[in-house]
Amino acid sequence: MEAETIRAVLEQAFPNALELSVEDRTGTGDHFQVTLASPAFDGISLLDQHRRVNEALAAPLGDGSIHELRIKTKGTA
Amino acid sequence: MKTLNEQISDVIDKEPVALFMKGTPQMIMCGNSHRALNALHAAGAPVTTVDVLPDPRIRQELQALSGWPTIPQVFVKGELIGGADITEELLASGELGQKLDEALGTDRMQDVKAVALELG
Repeated sequence: MEAETIRAVLEQAFPNALELSVEDRTGTGDHFQVTLASPAFDGISLLDQHRRVNEALAAPLGDGSIHELRIKTKGTA
Repeated sequence: MKTLNEQISDVIDKEPVALFMKGTPQMIMCGNSHRALNALHAAGAPVTTVDVLPDPRIRQELQALSGWPTIPQVFVKGELIGGADITEELLASGELGQKLDEALGTDRMQDVKAVALELG
């Protein structure tokens, strides 16, 4: 799976993101670092912020295309 | 014998701090499980670990219970804290220690134990 594909999915799920990057940590297309700042995260817990990201990527997480997902999120407030 | 679902629920509900991980503290099979365990140690947490690797059903049942798709998963007094990233972030911000102080008191034990689930 390409980092760019994940980025496109997240762009669609978080259209107002102020910051969005997806890094293929190992160059093997299955270990990714997602960094995302979005107003969608304002006022919700870190747990719920990560839940939103996991939900957006439920399909590739579920079928094993993403083996490892590291997430760094923040709101914009 | 209790079902897997019941055994997992028991660990989550009854253990002060539960860590569902790949491997055991003696034989950690995943970098992220290692990160979560280290963060819990650093915060002075007692840790009860469950290895999800012996049977894929453990992971499936856990995921259904917690609604969290990835391993590791950390629970404090039955409450899902998150995975390795969140546990590390909460350690760095001091919130993890605070949460543990509130849930378990400041003079808590720091023992580590591994629980093996009975697979039917």
